[in-house]
Amino acid sequence: MVNLTIDGKEVTVSKTATIYEAAKEAGVHIPVLCYAKKLLPYGACRVCLVEVEQMKGRLIPSCTTPATEGMVVTTMSDEIRKVRKTVLEFLLVNHVVECPVCDKGGECDLQDLTYEYEVVANRFKGEKFDLPTDEVNPLIERNMNRCVLCGKCVRVCDEVVGYGSYSFINRGFETKIATAFDRGLNCEFCGQCVSMCPVGAILPRPFKFKARPWQLKEVNSVCGYCGNGCTVTLGTKDNEVQTIRFNDKTGVNDGNLCIRGRFGVSYVNSDKRLTSPLIRKDGELVESSWEEALEKVTAGLRSAGSDAGIISGARLTNEELFLLKNLSTAIGTGNLDHSGGECYKGATEGLQETLGLQASTATFPQVEKANAILAIRTDFYETHPVFGMVVNQAVRQNNAQLTVIGDKQGKLTRMPRARTLQHKPGLEVNILNAMCRFLLDEGLAKTEGLQGVEELKDALADYSVEAVATATGVDADAIKQSAKELATVENAAILLAYGLPYSANSRELGLAAANLALLTGIAGRSGSGLYLCGEKSNSQGAIDLQILPVTGALGVTGMLKSASEGKLKALYITGEDMLVSYPDKGLVETAIDKTAFVVVQDLFLSETASKADVVLPAASFAEKAGTFTNAERRIQRLNPGITSPGQAKTDFAIFQALLTGLGAEAPATEAAAFTELAAVTSGYEMVSLDMIGDQGYVWGGDTLAPETRNLVAVAGGKAIEAKYQLVVGSALYHSGTTSLHAKGPMSVVAEPYIELGREDAKELNIADGDLVKLKAANGEISAKVKVDRRMPKGVFFAPYHFGSLELNRIYCGQTAIAVEVSK
Amino acid sequence: MTETAEQETVEEIDLTAANQVIDKYIDMHGALMPVLQGIQEEYGYIPEETVHLTSERLNVYASQIYGVLTFYAQFHLQPRGKYIVRVCMGTACHVKGAGRIAETLKGHLGIEHAETTEDLKFTAEYVACIGACGMAPVIMVNDATYGSLTVQKMDDVVKKYMEMD
Repeated sequence: MVNLTIDGKEVTVSKTATIYEAAKEAGVHIPVLCYAKKLLPYGACRVCLVEVEQMKGRLIPSCTTPATEGMVVTTMSDEIRKVRKTVLEFLLVNHVVECPVCDKGGECDLQDLTYEYEVVANRFKGEKFDLPTDEVNPLIERNMNRCVLCGKCVRVCDEVVGYGSYSFINRGFETKIATAFDRGLNCEFCGQCVSMCPVGAILPRPFKFKARPWQLKEVNSVCGYCGNGCTVTLGTKDNEVQTIRFNDKTGVNDGNLCIRGRFGVSYVNSDKRLTSPLIRKDGELVESSWEEALEKVTAGLRSAGSDAGIISGARLTNEELFLLKNLSTAIGTGNLDHSGGECYKGATEGLQETLGLQASTATFPQVEKANAILAIRTDFYETHPVFGMVVNQAVRQNNAQLTVIGDKQGKLTRMPRARTLQHKPGLEVNILNAMCRFLLDEGLAKTEGLQGVEELKDALADYSVEAVATATGVDADAIKQSAKELATVENAAILLAYGLPYSANSRELGLAAANLALLTGIAGRSGSGLYLCGEKSNSQGAIDLQILPVTGALGVTGMLKSASEGKLKALYITGEDMLVSYPDKGLVETAIDKTAFVVVQDLFLSETASKADVVLPAASFAEKAGTFTNAERRIQRLNPGITSPGQAKTDFAIFQALLTGLGAEAPATEAAAFTELAAVTSGYEMVSLDMIGDQGYVWGGDTLAPETRNLVAVAGGKAIEAKYQLVVGSALYHSGTTSLHAKGPMSVVAEPYIELGREDAKELNIADGDLVKLKAANGEISAKVKVDRRMPKGVFFAPYHFGSLELNRIYCGQTAIAVEVSK
Repeated sequence: MTETAEQETVEEIDLTAANQVIDKYIDMHGALMPVLQGIQEEYGYIPEETVHLTSERLNVYASQIYGVLTFYAQFHLQPRGKYIVRVCMGTACHVKGAGRIAETLKGHLGIEHAETTEDLKFTAEYVACIGACGMAPVIMVNDATYGSLTVQKMDDVVKKYMEMD
């Protein structure tokens, strides 16, 4: 710690603090343009100049100068005022002053400073730029005539996002910020640059001319897309979410978002939203009253009793899921499940059998301090982009060694020093097994207190690193090196995401990852962690609340099979478009066809909803109160920013009505429901709503200790013998099927595609944008081709979000699908 | 539009030489400058494909490489002629009629500063001073210097090179 005096105030700060940070601590305001808390000090703009008694004779940039013992700092004097004013005059020489039409107006740092320092005239004259604005991309408007060259966009895209879209180009007066070859922006469109820009040079295009900042009401809520649980601050006006506001004070994401969070919330305002209940009459779905619809649903579910099945999505709040569980009891059925039913088994079975847990053992911010990180599947970045940015920061700022087990390349494999164990599809478990075997053989494994060491050793007989290297196509030394790092560094992390397109091998992957986490000592050690991250915003909550089949009853797969044989009398589907997103479309179709009474509760008339007997219009996350639990066990509160369209109700209100209709008790409010659910949910017992503050509340603490330490042997996969193999997954720009109703993601990726590598493209004589057909054992799909060098030879990729692709005709939960290719 | 799709132009060029240059420097700290210089020496300019290749192999953003390429005058992003004609525009040459020398060049080849003939034979460059004021007006064609030029003499020099391969 160092002590210094700022404007007469004594302040004690950490050794690494700069004068600017010390001043902030002391409550002294120093103006800045190029400084941002999350970025490394830069010192480009010179408006933060201060006087330091020990460094007399010149002014010192406070944002880059470290605070030292005994410093006496003055942050304002006539001299400082004059110099800052001159700096502003210089900046305004070429800055195009078009504040009346600039969307930054009202929250522009340059505008505010110009006003504060009364820069009414400029002593200097110079050329103004007349550069064209970036009109190519749909989401981020770049007007470089307004740029002050603070470099924040360049730095955030590098230091935080790790994409590197921008750079300073040219020299001297010609210097500007541009992309490679000065083209239109073509990137992840996460919009971190938008949130950092201190002027109106980079703006969110969809928000253009929608509202002045002071007209917006700000409401903090939690993003409804993925399990990352980012805080989204809704900027609302006229009962519409106009934009997402920058907020780095609340939640776990430090103000960072991905395209879905920043540009994908517009689905809540879609005119395709359901606004009234629908009932099938004479084969047609027609609008009805809530009374009639609820009566029909109550009667249908009551008469089905134990022959009813309930399938939920994982984007309902904890409170809603709690009511849904109560509803299943009231109906008298144990057939309850969520999210495809297979994909989360890595957590509910894999981690349960080994660690006695069903959740990640540590929190996201700990990864920033990790020395070694193992990411299983490159798609981890696609499903959880903002956590991926934490990984990027660990790699770039903490020199963490990242290893990626992947069947293709991706954002993660391109991070500095990243080691890619690129394997044939479906063999992730084999590599994890080889790592375990290597640690045991070399005596690097921390076996103390572990159960089943000998059994695991025997079971891993066939998984020597060399044998696995040959079978998977991965370099043996790379496997050894990665395993060794994980076992020997101070802080290590293992990351694995699960979700609907990854239902194959889920339990096995969970077991293998847990074995490795136990042998390396990662599980339960402070600073290290095993992360199992659910695809949806409340995937973890659904597991915590045990939206799972009760013993002896049916899970999703069982329900669908049973229903397709005509054995279920009713299906109640909430927040899932099963016909699009579940594996094996044929099975889902038959199940829905053969079930006499099908209720779908959703925001949109999805493909599944259009087949239902009753459709109930539900509310989006932006319209509800309640809590989500993210993939690191962080319980966070949602706050309603707008009201639902038409007669749509929150799932909570619908379940309340149904419970009452069935003669059961229902808590009156979301808050009351939380108190009730906390009392009966493992890990939540001690949690009350008032403990959930701005940073949420992590149940089980930052480090969750394993209840058991069992090693469980698990068999690896077998590579399929086919020249061309299709793997399925999630695309960065989309999440589930909801984002297909959001303008932002759709403006970038509007239609399904099949991705393949350059070598295959050349060999098959296929170019970008050509239509290609893939024929598999149980069907055929066709889509436009995207040629990308990230795909290895013989491996194709297709995202699962698009109903029109009918990917689930050929995807039935396999790790890889053998396909024949034709044009 | 996945993360690598950088609106790539599919200009088919042989990347073997670029790969060899990268191989040579890949383990060196600060390899970017020598790699780019090496690539320019091999190809005569920096083809876009080699920027993406360098980006991928050295793990440097393509945008950053582009920043370096546009910062230094020594790098060229377009193919250049076999003969680089540097016309001195320094004070001495200016006074002695460098303008007419440049015009003569343009008359023959149709190119001005930083332009290259379509057959990739000539590139014109107007430079500030080549340090041979005693010979003004002066030009250089690659490494050969031609001084005390008149329009007549310039005609001869240009014609000589036009007849060469």
